[in-house]
Amino acid sequence: MTDAPKTDEFEINDYIRLDQMPHFLCPGCGHGIALRALLWAIHELGIDKDKLAVVSGIGCSGRLSAYIDANTFHTTHGRPLAYATGLALARPDLHVIVITGDGDSLAIGGNHLIHACRRNLNLTTMMLNNEIYGMTGGQVSPTTSAERYTTTTPAGNTEPVFDACALAIAAGAGFVGREVTMQVTGLKNLLRDAIAHDGFSFVEVLSDCTEIYGRKNDLGNSPEMILSQKAQMRPEAYRNTVDVPFRPNALKTGILARNARPEYGSAYRAMTAGIREKGK
Amino acid sequence: MGNGPTNVLIVGVGGQGVIMVSKVLAMLCQKHGYEVKQSEVHGMAKRGGGVFSHVRFGDKVWSPTIPEGEADVLVALEWAEALRWLNYMNPKTGTFIADTQKIVPPFACRARGRGEEPGYAPQTPADIMAQVRAGYAMDATSIAEGLGNLKAANTVLLGALSTTLDFSVDSWLEVIRQFVPPASIEINMQAFAAGREWAQAGDKRVADSPEGLAKVEHHAPVVTDWQITAEWCKGCDICVKMCPERCLRLTDQLVAELHKPDLCTGCRMCEWLCPDFAIKITNTPIAEAAE
Amino acid sequence: MSNRMNMQGNQACAMGAIAAGCRFYAGYPITPSSEVAETMARELPKVGGTFIQMEDEIASMAAVVGASMGGAKAMTATSGPGFSLKQENLGYASGAEIPCVIINVMRGGPSTGMPTRPAQGDIMQARWGTHGDHPIIVLAPASVAECYSETIRAFDLTERLRVPVIVLVDEVIGHLVETVDVGALTPPAEVSRKLASGPADGFEPYAVTQDMVPPFPRPGDGYRSHTTGLTHLPSGFPTQNPAKAKAALSRTTDKLLHHADLIESVEASACDDAEIVIATIGISARAAAQAVTDLRASGIRAGLFRPRTLWPFPEAALKAATANARAVLVPEMNQGQLVLEVERLLGLNRVHRLNKIDGEAITPAEIVAKAQEVLA
Repeated sequence: MTDAPKTDEFEINDYIRLDQMPHFLCPGCGHGIALRALLWAIHELGIDKDKLAVVSGIGCSGRLSAYIDANTFHTTHGRPLAYATGLALARPDLHVIVITGDGDSLAIGGNHLIHACRRNLNLTTMMLNNEIYGMTGGQVSPTTSAERYTTTTPAGNTEPVFDACALAIAAGAGFVGREVTMQVTGLKNLLRDAIAHDGFSFVEVLSDCTEIYGRKNDLGNSPEMILSQKAQMRPEAYRNTVDVPFRPNALKTGILARNARPEYGSAYRAMTAGIREKGK
Repeated sequence: MGNGPTNVLIVGVGGQGVIMVSKVLAMLCQKHGYEVKQSEVHGMAKRGGGVFSHVRFGDKVWSPTIPEGEADVLVALEWAEALRWLNYMNPKTGTFIADTQKIVPPFACRARGRGEEPGYAPQTPADIMAQVRAGYAMDATSIAEGLGNLKAANTVLLGALSTTLDFSVDSWLEVIRQFVPPASIEINMQAFAAGREWAQAGDKRVADSPEGLAKVEHHAPVVTDWQITAEWCKGCDICVKMCPERCLRLTDQLVAELHKPDLCTGCRMCEWLCPDFAIKITNTPIAEAAE
Repeated sequence: MSNRMNMQGNQACAMGAIAAGCRFYAGYPITPSSEVAETMARELPKVGGTFIQMEDEIASMAAVVGASMGGAKAMTATSGPGFSLKQENLGYASGAEIPCVIINVMRGGPSTGMPTRPAQGDIMQARWGTHGDHPIIVLAPASVAECYSETIRAFDLTERLRVPVIVLVDEVIGHLVETVDVGALTPPAEVSRKLASGPADGFEPYAVTQDMVPPFPRPGDGYRSHTTGLTHLPSGFPTQNPAKAKAALSRTTDKLLHHADLIESVEASACDDAEIVIATIGISARAAAQAVTDLRASGIRAGLFRPRTLWPFPEAALKAATANARAVLVPEMNQGQLVLEVERLLGLNRVHRLNKIDGEAITPAEIVAKAQEVLA
């Protein structure tokens, strides 16, 4: 885990599988921007690609792992955190990063998310929240905003939404943050801090699904969507300078929680080392 | 100073101390028995926005603001603000006092290429001095910096202002003492003296080497190279709309192309926001490129 | 080296796993398999292994596959409802060819059923539980000693062939305590998967090799390969090209045919002259063994056919063992699952059923009575 941080210029082509490009994402999908930020953060931390394991689930977000030049695992729907838990415990020498989506980690994989937060194993989760099940054609997700139209909410969504970061904080995650894709350098810095954190880190990225969600809800084209996402945010760093009543519904961005709870993997290994020592 | 009120317009950029200068003046006038009106716009200008303050004093002052063309003294803490408010100064009798330092807001730059002159407030101090009856284009910031704290630049300008108004030096210093933090009283005293001394040298004076104007920091000039991987581009329009210079467009085939390369500043916004990794910007410092 | 000890079937599975080199266990509490997890939680730390109790059955299967993706020998254990939940990620392991071992201690079903009562109702689920055509190996021990040795063999097979292996135990065997000579049952060397070696450039994680088992690219060794549950090319990346998809799927299933000799394990006793062969597994096979003795004593030439490797089903061995038999009796603690395979191979005419679904084990007397009935 002691890779020397790199200061040389980030070349994304050094971190993607060129033979798999162009990627399969729709035009203007924010997942691509988030992927750049993630790879950029990995570059800045100087992580050796051979020691990098990326585990993803199912959905648009899940397909991103295939484009990363690392040890990549495209697993089952909702389960990447459980796979990653096994992988990280078996191979503490690897940097394990999970890429998941709002449906993947909050609906079908919700149980794994809260327990991963609780356990505080050294993993980084990048959750791409585009408020929709894109790959299956645009069904309502746990983060679909109120009154939005999806193929399964033809009269508008009436279900309340999950605040994924609040959930992660409540469940005890060591590091929690949120950012929009438009703030790509801020997102990169956030992911860098998340990966460097010793414990479970959770980063929610507000991504845009222009082709399905945007189109069905008249949210504009990709530039308009990412700009409006940015406008809806209230950076945590400006907590004391931006009037809260001014934007009452704004989501906070930036680092939302950071604590020094013991990391599960090292705690477990210390415990078992003690058992072996006693057995001698 | 005639029968009407004396008008002093103090302008600058948020954070420079415009309000402090106007408060000092207002209190000084009040102590001398004048009626004073001080009206200012600030608050919106947290760090970097324009700030102005009208100070009017005399036996009777009715209106709180100075009509255009009637300021007896224009005190500008920043060069571009000086130019902006120049028309408020009385062209026949007014005195112009300005710091030659520029604070260039990024979004105000016409030419944003690396290493290019910003084309912001291009008039030189000499140009302006030619237009005014009396004035001082002084490098107050450098003077203050030389004394040990560039924040005292506003007091340097107060020193210059003191030469145009009929108050004693001691009464100026007494008021300034009340407005500056105890730890910086000494340096402000020195700054006031330096500014006053500089302005006493003549009715018109321009800083010999207005270093302030040259102090605008440039990024090292670069040669920018663009690569657009057409096969990866999906025509989402993000680069086109996000480019601050609007130098990209989509072709008939909905592929991004750089159609105004001259405007490109190499800021890399398009590269970073391209979800398809289709744009690559390489900025090579000119020195390296020549090698 | 003799190392005799009293051991429970579930414990024997755990100890066999550790002897086979298993160093990762993820599980979730469920009756009647919990002793496997409890033993692993106690024993794994002593050998530098990792035990984790996950948040649910799905996660524990996923964590096992995840650990194995990292190169660890990994196992989980479960029962009935838990086995149903594990099918999703078991299918992943099968499709992506990730070695892993699943102990399934069968209990009464469906649903919560009879958690503390034995059954053999998962014979078909073990074979077809996860969706789609997939390779799978199922071993069926019938004693505590076999729980130990078959779990070792399960690791041997899963590591050699990169196919998930299920050890199908029933509640009676799982909770049975017997004397086991652990030393005699432990093979001299544990088997580990073949690791990828050679240049990383142009390496194909699912290349078609002569033995049809691609070498495993361990993370960290420089191969940086992609693993997916999607139908994939030798390169590891997904495909929907019909010819390539067919080739990819066929290889994983043909792999088992290619290694049939390694996989197959059958107990066929007294079958040569048998007029009736009793074909069954697990605790029912132990009753059947006694029934064979009793039937022989009463003058009926009976034989026992017991597939230790239940799936892939030992077709030729069954046909050979029953070549001279007038009747084949399949006693099982379900409504007829194993018998379907026997009927498929031998036809309906001479195959007879004995089913029990009341939460009690089948007795030798019941088998004897049924055998006498079908021969009458």
